[in-house]
Amino acid sequence: MKILYLYRFKPVESEAQKAIEKLAEALRKDNEVKEFRLYEENPDYDKLVEMIWEADKVISWW
Amino acid sequence: MAVYKFMFLIPNKIYISDGVRSTLGVAVENHYGFAAILNQKIPPVTEYVKENLEWIRDMEGDVFCVVDTMDEEARKYNVDEAGLTPITLEELAKKTLECDYIIAYGLPYQLRELPSMCADTRTVETAKAEEG
Amino acid sequence: MPEEEKDMDKLGIFVTNPHQETWRHLKGIVNAVQKAGKKVRVFFTYKSVHLVQQPDFPEFSKLIPEEDLAICLDSYTCEGFDGVPVGLTEKQMRTQAYHGEIVDVCGKYITL
Repeated sequence: MKILYLYRFKPVESEAQKAIEKLAEALRKDNEVKEFRLYEENPDYDKLVEMIWEADKVISWW
Repeated sequence: MAVYKFMFLIPNKIYISDGVRSTLGVAVENHYGFAAILNQKIPPVTEYVKENLEWIRDMEGDVFCVVDTMDEEARKYNVDEAGLTPITLEELAKKTLECDYIIAYGLPYQLRELPSMCADTRTVETAKAEEG
Repeated sequence: MPEEEKDMDKLGIFVTNPHQETWRHLKGIVNAVQKAGKKVRVFFTYKSVHLVQQPDFPEFSKLIPEEDLAICLDSYTCEGFDGVPVGLTEKQMRTQAYHGEIVDVCGKYITL
């Protein structure tokens, strides 16, 4: 399955963040995962929309 | 109409009660709703939240607490007092893989300690005693 | 009311928090979706309902047909508000059922 990981917030190092990363890593299993970072400066929303439509599923992580 | 499985991931304490409500919301629309509380104690379980938990379970969903993301005190409270279903991160990953919609609900985990006005450290037992 | 078919050209957006960056991204994404000739359905829940107070919310609401934009009435009420926010109609004050409907009618879905 094609999955898009959409990261919305800049990660802050913590045990809680590590748990989420572990979960996100586990969910990559047997899937083709692409990533988009919304929190980077001037995110390309047009590109994001393209990627949303290319993916079978989008997981909007924090 | 298709039936979907939802997993609500809830790491921020302020968003727990409403994340559970949203989980019920999808269940009421004939989907399967699951919620996973990470990192901390659920706020004191009111009658409203208790009813929501029961309803979600009646509709074959569940509300989990991810035990390896919290300390012993939080684990004990969430499982023994609030009645959440314990689950490890690995088990959560397996359950989440089965879901059609994975919702990272609300804001990220909050590092700042909650002040008294919103920390609410009552237990269910204390709240029951207060209600009389 | 006839059941809506799932529209593969429609993006469902479940807005779950009132962060200022969430507002910025929501506007950016809605604009990009419409520029691409596609549609959105947006639902604001819990504290994200505060975003209706953004000065450009009324302008934003005009971009989306009435049936494709709603806020959770209970959330709005529990945040202390009365009435209907500027930019919305009474019909757009909905329940959590609206979120369940989003996945039934939208081919694509994200959370903000």
